[in-house]
Amino acid sequence: MSEINIDALDVKILRLLQGDARKPFQEIAQQTGVSTDTIKNRFHQMTKTGLLRGTTIVVDPKKIDQNHVVSIGVQVTNPYAEQVLNLIKKIPGMYVVTRSVGRYDIEAIAILKDIEQISTVKNTIADFQQVQNVDIEIWVDKPLLCPKNFEFEENHA
Amino acid sequence: MKLDHIDLTILEMLKKDARISLREIAREMKISADTVSNRVEKLTQQGIILSSTVILDTSKIGYAFITRFGINVKPAYAAQVLEKIIKIPSVIIASKVVGSNDLVALSVVKNFHHLCSLRDTILEMPYVENVDLGMWINTMEICPHYFLI
Repeated sequence: MSEINIDALDVKILRLLQGDARKPFQEIAQQTGVSTDTIKNRFHQMTKTGLLRGTTIVVDPKKIDQNHVVSIGVQVTNPYAEQVLNLIKKIPGMYVVTRSVGRYDIEAIAILKDIEQISTVKNTIADFQQVQNVDIEIWVDKPLLCPKNFEFEENHA
Repeated sequence: MKLDHIDLTILEMLKKDARISLREIAREMKISADTVSNRVEKLTQQGIILSSTVILDTSKIGYAFITRFGINVKPAYAAQVLEKIIKIPSVIIASKVVGSNDLVALSVVKNFHHLCSLRDTILEMPYVENVDLGMWINTMEICPHYFLI
């Protein structure tokens, strides 16, 4: 894990973009008191180092067809976690699939249309060989996202 | 809410790159820039587009992994605890859930010491009864563009 340095200006730029990724570089320049070119360079530099992986819009999944965010916890017979993970990755609707340490061996988050689809996905996973148990949790209400609040500090590694 | 092909394509393009210019979207879709800007305005007004943000690789600035906290609270206090949890600086998303826990929160974590202090912070909140955690390793992101960190 190679850490990179970010200074106070980088942090300011990222904080402004966390709240509004479409903010023009010119405006960011005005708000930070440096030139637009400097902002452009910093943006490209942070992209190059891989810290800034991209920008995106936050969409309310309930307003489009996909209605339910679901957490999935899977217990698997040792040592088949990797194999099962690869099968789960292929199920449509999966958002994140990861190995985990704790109660579950694999955890996933999926965005699914309705209860039938949730049940289908659960049964699909439960039917995989070596899977011992599948737990499902349905997220209710609007999840509180906080990329805006996520605070990081300048860091001189 | 019914979205047509144009809306969905615009959303897809903005999800991949929120800084893309509306003119570029128009050019690629072979429609007018006015149409794109009207649609984006409508999608925003209707609350379909909530906001825009950056996707960060937090491992580059010292956060080693993501942890899921499953939290049980005294009945009727879930919303109150949720408000507090989302304010923890390293928590990236939190929600009420129906299942074995009452709340779920995902947090980026620096190290085990940080993990323990996060767990203690949550456990010490009033009405919190139990905290269960899962540390995510080798996190495979299928759609990194959709997962906000």
